[in-house]
Amino acid sequence: MLILDSVTKIYTRGREKVHALKNLSLKINQGEYVGVVGPSGSGKSTLMNIIGILDVPSEGSIAIAGRQIKDLSASEQTELRRKTIGFVFQQFLLIPTMTALQNVMLPLYFAGAPDAEKKASELLARVGLDKRAEHLPNQLSGGEMQRTAIARALANRPSVLLADEPAGNLDSKTAQDIYGLFEEINKEGTTIIMVTHNEKLAETFPRMIHVIDGRLGNDQIK
Amino acid sequence: MNIFTIVFDGLRRRKIRSALAITGIAIAAASLYSLVALKEGYESGMRSEIESMGAQIIAVAKGCPYEAVAVIMIGGQVPATLPMDVTGKIAKIPNVASASPNVYGAYQYLGLSHPIIGIEHAELALKPWWKIKGQFPANEGEIVLGSVEAAVFAEKSGEFKNIGDAITVVAGGKKVNLTVVGILDATGSKDDYSTFTTLVTAQKLLNLEGQVVTVNVRVNDIAKIPDTIAAIEKIADVQAVTVAQVMGTIQNLVKAAQTMLLTVMVIALIIGGIGTMNTMMMSIFERTREIGLMKAIGASQTQIFTLFFTEGLAISLIGGLLGLLAGLGATLGGDAILRSIVSVMPTTSVGKISTMAVGLTLLFPLVIGAFSALYPAIRAARLNPIEALRNE
Repeated sequence: MLILDSVTKIYTRGREKVHALKNLSLKINQGEYVGVVGPSGSGKSTLMNIIGILDVPSEGSIAIAGRQIKDLSASEQTELRRKTIGFVFQQFLLIPTMTALQNVMLPLYFAGAPDAEKKASELLARVGLDKRAEHLPNQLSGGEMQRTAIARALANRPSVLLADEPAGNLDSKTAQDIYGLFEEINKEGTTIIMVTHNEKLAETFPRMIHVIDGRLGNDQIK
Repeated sequence: MNIFTIVFDGLRRRKIRSALAITGIAIAAASLYSLVALKEGYESGMRSEIESMGAQIIAVAKGCPYEAVAVIMIGGQVPATLPMDVTGKIAKIPNVASASPNVYGAYQYLGLSHPIIGIEHAELALKPWWKIKGQFPANEGEIVLGSVEAAVFAEKSGEFKNIGDAITVVAGGKKVNLTVVGILDATGSKDDYSTFTTLVTAQKLLNLEGQVVTVNVRVNDIAKIPDTIAAIEKIADVQAVTVAQVMGTIQNLVKAAQTMLLTVMVIALIIGGIGTMNTMMMSIFERTREIGLMKAIGASQTQIFTLFFTEGLAISLIGGLLGLLAGLGATLGGDAILRSIVSVMPTTSVGKISTMAVGLTLLFPLVIGAFSALYPAIRAARLNPIEALRNE
């Protein structure tokens, strides 16, 4: 479970202070599938960074899996992020010098997990890429790269999967496949929080959150 | 998958960048190796050359003693000589263990000039390592050939096959018959390229009757060398130098060549060091998003630092090893180059494998690599993941 309580985030850009999030409170239960929409600059990315423990609130607090983030040291935050959060990005962000298999093994390597190769192979099979394990990213199609990235995000069995426009760089057919994959993952109990510009798509999600000017707008739960 | 597969796969798949970085380090390492090895090889070569003279003090006629010794070492006619009786006077000085008079000159044979040295039995006291097949020259016209000369003569002359054969040479404008009575076993020094004869024979060949060029002295107690030199120099018109002084003079002669090599090396080191640092920095700028991603998927600062630091060390180590191989090759060529610039060179090649140079060449790139990878690796570790991920 994720609880944001009156989260405010202020950046200093030069001399200017930017209020990226203003007193935002939000609760997301384990296993939810949430779409996050809003115009650019509305604070969506800041929200995702704070949920992903890449950033900390200026004011207010966030608790993930029952732990208050502000009470954790930097290395404890890294540890919690490693165990709890998986990231999927619009640009895939695979390491170009590593094979698909090695990319999926990387989070397991950082976590010091045993049987990394076996686990990574299983994950690649899970996303339908078992035959592409030894290919480098530049030998994969866009859809294959994103599947690899999803397998990587799942490597340490996170309870929350954060996706930022995961199909933004893909054609509509491939995008459908990727959304299908997310639905399957969600059915297995993983919370999915996905930023998208596509409101029509977001409306098909069980829950849709609007972020406008750093505040929580509409919060529709079906 | 471990840190080494990550680092080496990365280097292998970024071929051009890795090759450039490795080349920079390799050039620096190769020039370091060449300089240290050539300097060491030269010094040890010259030292063994001088030690092979067997003397600690060399007495010559007043004039420029260093010039006299240098001329002896490269061959040629010495400008001033000493009267014969000087040897006896020196031998009577306390602390003198043995005094061996030498006459240096050359004769023509097979179209080439060959050094010839007139000696007495006292020479054997200076050079206890000498092993002569046959006999020590005792009568006029008898010679002992150095091992290399003997081999060359046996192959090319047609006159000389075995001990006992005579050769006809030209010396002082006259034809002279010399009988080979012995062959000197290889010594690894200039002696292998020399001919030895009796003092009288050499004096006659070179028109130096009653004179000697040097008296080479071995002492009982090295600590008393200054007193011994003072005593030798009390004899009229005699000047004495120690081999240590001669060594110093010769080293001055080659300083110019060393300075040139040193300049080249310093430039190569600077380029290599800056090149590695530049490569590491570029590699981190290029991979800013990768680093951000690694942090997002759970890499700690220590893990990021270790990855990039290891990469820097790997580049340096590979560069160092390649540079060492290149340096080993270059020192062989370096011998020929030095020979063309420096007039006084040891008989043996100066391009020997030097353990000190090998050690330095392996150590130095690691130090450079560690220094130049440290800052970039720390920067990588401290990158803010949000900004790194936003980086386009």
